Amino acid sequence: MEKALQVIEEMTRLGIIKAYAIGGGIAATYYIEPILTYDLDIFFTPVKEGLDELAPIYEFARGRGYVEQAEALLIEGFPVQFIPAYNDLVREAVADAATLRYRDVEAKVVKAEYLAAIALQAGRAKDRERVARLLESEAVDRAVLAGILERHGLTDKLRKMEGGADEK
Amino acid sequence: MKSKAAASVFEKKRERRRQLSQLPFEKKVEIVVELQKAAAGIRKDSRRKVWPI
Repeated sequence: MEKALQVIEEMTRLGIIKAYAIGGGIAATYYIEPILTYDLDIFFTPVKEGLDELAPIYEFARGRGYVEQAEALLIEGFPVQFIPAYNDLVREAVADAATLRYRDVEAKVVKAEYLAAIALQAGRAKDRERVARLLESEAVDRAVLAGILERHGLTDKLRKMEGGADEK
Repeated sequence: MKSKAAASVFEKKRERRRQLSQLPFEKKVEIVVELQKAAAGIRKDSRRKVWPI
């Protein structure tokens, strides 16, 4: 995985993408217990907003001999899914990312509070489960989360979720 | 929660999750790979490969 992370960092240095942060299952695994996942999800802000924000990434990847596998790119044998920051919440999460260390590599990762907010916004069953786990963990600062939720109109969504939560 | 026994089980589960969450990230990734191996033994899916970490 460290080689894939190095390539993603390189893409930022080369200006292929403006900024990035690991999201999804691996970001969750960074903060809570390990969960089954198969892709390394990368939220990114493109250098240019446009119709095909993935084009520069795929062009770079083809030049390196990396192939596509379903929705992912196999980077150094590792499935990486690039997801353009699709709304203000995700853009803010990328801009305010934390840094993780894996072996000798440093990489950007979505902060726990943003990860919870993004999952809350997505609202699927597995996302609600992730929100619950993140809230239960010591990784989430509830005051920081409250600010994010307020800014993005998600406060009621959390209230409803917590109101209807069963203990497991 | 009405049942003390159930409350105790849930509390132990929470404690286990808390312990797992505090493992080093590298160790957690190793566990993810172990989960992938276990899943591969149950369901064959060519798109879902065990990571080459």
